[in-house]
Amino acid sequence: MAGVVLETLGNKKLSILIISLLLILTVFFLVGGLVAPAPNSVIPTTAINCYDEDKLWQIGESKPFLPRGKYACKSLHDLHHDKAIKDKKLDANQIVFSQQIPFVKNNTALHMSRWFQNLIGVIDLDIEFKQENPYPEEKTPEMLVEARLYARFKEETDKDWRLIASSKEQRTLECTIEKDKREDGQAYNCELIPFFELGSVFYDYYLINVRLPVSERNDYNKIGSLSDLHSIFIIQNGGFTKVWFSMKTVLFPMVVAALCWFWNRVASQGRPTNLTERTLFALGIVLSIMNCPVEWFTLFFNLPFMMLLNDIRDGAFYAMLLSFWIIFVGEHMLDQTERNRLSAYWRHLAVVLLACTALFIFEMCERGRQLVNPFYSIWSSEIGSVAAFTFIIVASIAACVYFLFLCYLVFKVFRNIGSKRTSLLHMSSFRRKYYSGLIFRFKFLMIVTLLCAALTVIFFILGQVSEGQWKWGDEDINIEYTSAFLTGVYGMWNVYVMALLALYAPSHKQFASEADTDTISQEEEVQLTQQSISTSEKSAANISLVYAYFQNFQAWAKGGKRNMAGQVN
Amino acid sequence: MRLMLLMCLAWFMTLTCGSGDKRVRVRAPRGSKWWSLAKPGEVSNGLRAPVRKLYNNPSLLPLTKRQRRLVTKNPGAVMAVVSGARMAIDECQHQFRKRRWNCPIRFEGHRSSIFGKIIQKGCRETAFVYSITSAAVAYSVGRACSQGTIQTCSCDNRVHSRPSGEDWEWSGCSDNAKFGHKFSRKFVDVLEKGRDFRYMINLHNNEVGRVHVSNSLRRQCKCHGMSGSCTIKTCWMTLPDFRSIGLALKDRFDGASQVLPENSVRNRGRGKRRFNFSPANSLHKKPGRRDLVYFEDSPNFCDNDSSLGFDGTKGRECNHSSLGVDGCDLMCCGRGFHTEHYVVQDRCQCIFEWCCEVKCKMCTFNRTRSTCL
Repeated sequence: MAGVVLETLGNKKLSILIISLLLILTVFFLVGGLVAPAPNSVIPTTAINCYDEDKLWQIGESKPFLPRGKYACKSLHDLHHDKAIKDKKLDANQIVFSQQIPFVKNNTALHMSRWFQNLIGVIDLDIEFKQENPYPEEKTPEMLVEARLYARFKEETDKDWRLIASSKEQRTLECTIEKDKREDGQAYNCELIPFFELGSVFYDYYLINVRLPVSERNDYNKIGSLSDLHSIFIIQNGGFTKVWFSMKTVLFPMVVAALCWFWNRVASQGRPTNLTERTLFALGIVLSIMNCPVEWFTLFFNLPFMMLLNDIRDGAFYAMLLSFWIIFVGEHMLDQTERNRLSAYWRHLAVVLLACTALFIFEMCERGRQLVNPFYSIWSSEIGSVAAFTFIIVASIAACVYFLFLCYLVFKVFRNIGSKRTSLLHMSSFRRKYYSGLIFRFKFLMIVTLLCAALTVIFFILGQVSEGQWKWGDEDINIEYTSAFLTGVYGMWNVYVMALLALYAPSHKQFASEADTDTISQEEEVQLTQQSISTSEKSAANISLVYAYFQNFQAWAKGGKRNMAGQVN
Repeated sequence: MRLMLLMCLAWFMTLTCGSGDKRVRVRAPRGSKWWSLAKPGEVSNGLRAPVRKLYNNPSLLPLTKRQRRLVTKNPGAVMAVVSGARMAIDECQHQFRKRRWNCPIRFEGHRSSIFGKIIQKGCRETAFVYSITSAAVAYSVGRACSQGTIQTCSCDNRVHSRPSGEDWEWSGCSDNAKFGHKFSRKFVDVLEKGRDFRYMINLHNNEVGRVHVSNSLRRQCKCHGMSGSCTIKTCWMTLPDFRSIGLALKDRFDGASQVLPENSVRNRGRGKRRFNFSPANSLHKKPGRRDLVYFEDSPNFCDNDSSLGFDGTKGRECNHSSLGVDGCDLMCCGRGFHTEHYVVQDRCQCIFEWCCEVKCKMCTFNRTRSTCL
């Protein structure tokens, strides 16, 4: 009879395979930790306080205010004590905060690189405590942020700035101050304000202009006394992108090859495929889609949707993985129920689908919307944040329900194994060896899955606790923990799927080919007895050779039953 | 603004008064003359001039050759130093507004220190002035780096020893505060050389100021993983408000340790700025990297002291209901005080925005003021 590769593989080969997969995994971790830099870096900036002397912005002209260079704006060194404020009777509506990235550093004019992939902007306000102009602590003040984002290539001049986004956005500002710090000049502790997210870094220079308009007619921007506006930009490090792209480029053909081999194997069996095989195949396809290194195009084209696409691809993979686990465990239930069809799992899959849909809608509302308006944030409006919270809560509840389902199924499998283990004692030594081997390998795979999931969770928690601050080793060897986590986890699930594809492909090796004729006859006996017993259960007999792994368990279960019956008799 | 006007006024006062005064001026310690860059009006357009013209700019006269070379090499830095010097003065006057010595400044040309002769002493006040000024330079240069106004700020995440452009593409830039710290070291410490005990004290106190800036950096984080979750979290350091650094240094001032002027102050291991001071009171623990040190007791600052260049507390406003140093008893050194009621026009019912002009009405107030006799 034909089994899956896992069953027919000798212990030696199995251990070699596992060790080599572990080695590959270590390589992924090390590549992330040693070669790649931290995944992201920050360009913290303090905005230049330009002033709009002719109130150009207010009359609707979209001329950029430049922080430096030949066409630099007129600026205030200090928002409260600068001479120009009195001289020119400036008011808050005329102040335009401006900053251009990147800077000139080490006398080298830096420019943005397309390797940076995405650009996130955050605003941090320095609000000063002032007795006479306090920040309204009893209510979180609403802010109205008028923002413009300009960009240009390095071949262009300061006259060629192009407006790539412009918006009026509402934000809330939350600041606190300790009791003993309430003294003029002390600063409030303010939460960061999300500003914008760009899905591609296509240009060489970026320029932001921000205005915080005030009016007697509304309550916007009554935020106390502002001393500085910091705009913080987060980019993905080019080095990390390069390592990431290389990983994807290497993994993609590997997984595709494994997938092709697997499907060839399944097709060459000359029988209809079963559910586990189809699910595994689907998992491989989704993984290949995730691996497909289409990001290379971002180096040549402006593709702001890439961030969204990546999130969706990641999400699809994890959804598929969760579905696979449910089906895999369900198909190994070792009871007499016939499944082998998707509809048997509709409850579990509905939960996964629900979680994914909720997250997908949330994603589309946030990042999808940002394709049109990079300043948009779902969290900034009341309704938006309620909706976002709803989606996230629905997704987390669904995830919890899913894990309950999964734990219950796994528990049932192990209970079945446990209840049938006693019957092992009454089998012939060959069959006992054979079945305990099966159980061992099944459990082994369950443990590998658990290990992978646990490792992901543990590394994630470690990363959260240490906040990426961990540095192992001395000056020479620095392990970038976050990068190692990202590449390691990514590599781990790839290795996991490849291992499944390799070990769960149908084997064309006869299981008992190495055993002597005596055991073959025994094996046939098992088959015969099983068929004779299960004639009443037509369906079970009909699958028979389809999924040997599953079937063997059935055979064993029934054999055990028969043995027990014989004993009673 | 008002402070600047006051400073202008003080400057004019001292100019007019100083002309009749034929005292021999004692040269300020060499390293401290750059403070007079804070002089109002000194920030001429000349300082914003192109690099080549900067070196011989008359505004830079208070600087030594090495300092001048340093600011020439780092275009934009001199403006940061100027604003740092002003910040230091403002902060010093704020922190000491309730004490007898209230950080008075006088601009008497570039040959003497604006803080007066207190700088040649070795008392607590001296220690504070040194630390706050060096902290202010570190802070201000760091801030200027984050504004992009200095073009030489470091970008040294140099793991892979590549040219800085490539390095930046590979792993970004390091934060700005580090450059401020380094610049302040080069700029402020440049002339505190030799084995003189006073210089060691000054070097130590300069370092204390900078260490306070570096240690008070605030950590901020942003989550931006998949769908904005916290799977990826990026953190960075930001400079706090300078007021809190001033407060921390004032705390160090209150707990400063007196040390013995021993001949054998050994360098403590690596780094030029780590000294092994022994405390005057052997029961006290040795001053650490963050402790201000001094070796002379402070004068009582009660009366006009020409050796200090301090006018005494005569005429200072005091708080007759306070029992602290700002209370009239202590402030006036027991000479008594004079209380007067007066009527003043001041702004009221103001409408504030987050910036700029304040629209106010003028109201009449009855106020009471006590001044020392």
